[in-house]
Amino acid sequence: MLEYEEFCLRAELEGGVVEAWIAAGWLIPEPSEGARRFSEADLARARLIHDLHEDMGVNDEGIAVILDLIDQIYGLRRSLRDLSAALATLPEATRTRIQEELRTRRLPARA
Amino acid sequence: MSVSADPYTVLGVKREATQDEIRKAYRALAKKLHPDLNPGNKEAEERFKQVSAAYDLLGDAEKRARFDRGEIDASGAETPRQNYYRDFAEGGPRAGAQRYESSAGFADFAESDDIFAELFGRQGAGGAGGAQLRMRGADLPFHLHVDFLDAVNGATRRLSLPDGSTLDVAIPPGIRDGQMLRLKGKGRPGIGGGPPGDALIEVEIMPHPVFRREGDDIRLELPISLSEAVLGGRVDVPTPTGPVTMTIPKGSNSGTILRIRGKGVSRRDGTRGDEYVTLTITLPKDPDPDLENFVAGWAGGKRYNPREGAKG
Repeated sequence: MLEYEEFCLRAELEGGVVEAWIAAGWLIPEPSEGARRFSEADLARARLIHDLHEDMGVNDEGIAVILDLIDQIYGLRRSLRDLSAALATLPEATRTRIQEELRTRRLPARA
Repeated sequence: MSVSADPYTVLGVKREATQDEIRKAYRALAKKLHPDLNPGNKEAEERFKQVSAAYDLLGDAEKRARFDRGEIDASGAETPRQNYYRDFAEGGPRAGAQRYESSAGFADFAESDDIFAELFGRQGAGGAGGAQLRMRGADLPFHLHVDFLDAVNGATRRLSLPDGSTLDVAIPPGIRDGQMLRLKGKGRPGIGGGPPGDALIEVEIMPHPVFRREGDDIRLELPISLSEAVLGGRVDVPTPTGPVTMTIPKGSNSGTILRIRGKGVSRRDGTRGDEYVTLTITLPKDPDPDLENFVAGWAGGKRYNPREGAKG
């Protein structure tokens, strides 16, 4: 876990920016014994916000929407991953059956 | 896929492009290709690497000039970035971003299906190896049409469940319209050893051609003949538990209300409400010459005014 100063340093962000992102709910440091601590995941998220802002020219409102959608997509991807792992434990015949069902469901959409 | 591909080609800009044009081109590509916006897309990741490397070179006017003069080449310009956010998310190689993940947008799935309830129903971020999910099963809603007399007297009805099984529902006597019956444990099975939900049955009572209900009492209109009204008599009256014989007093009028005790709706304590019978004097369907002759010669008929108390 990273202390606040170290986090700002490694994220190459000024303290005021980090505070604003925390206030906006974009970053959620873990409170521990009074001091806030940041994980490597928080660091990567800060870089993502930085990329959105600097490289892609997204404004603050846009970043809020994007983060919300990204959080949903990653939640969805985790669920899909869990589901796929659960499906893999089913007998071959059942999985074939599910596959067929999915295929028939997708056919009209392609037409 | 060569790392030393021409950075101008990679960004899709001309050699004489301005710094601003280069920045715009990079932004457009980054929006499309950023690995965190394309989790699981290897091709996008590869292209983003090239695009980043190209922008590293061309985005900086000084570096770009050196590249244009041939002092440096495109190779080696690519400095791999340490991590992307996606590596931490969705239980990727490095966990830690779960608390940002949200399944709030998929709550509708959780309601519709047990499997998706398990997937999306988890509360907030569980973290790695979170507590085993144990949930009460969902309640199953039903709508049940109940015949008027079944509602008054009580009955047993058989419901067909979506899974093909059946459920016998005891309809308690005296049930009211819109009342909910809750059958404990007859809903969807629980999750992770949780208790099953309940079946929730909303009762709709169908109207009856003759009886009306007012609370615990039954009301009906009973047609009687002119002679029954004038002379009195004993008539059969329908009640929810079958016909009973009732005495009509001599000289009964239309609108006279007679009470039959204990023939209303069952109450919880085992007693019943009453039945109220409103008499309606009904003349024969076809005109009767004898009756006309009699009334025409009936002196008393001209002497009383039935509208005495009904003056405007």
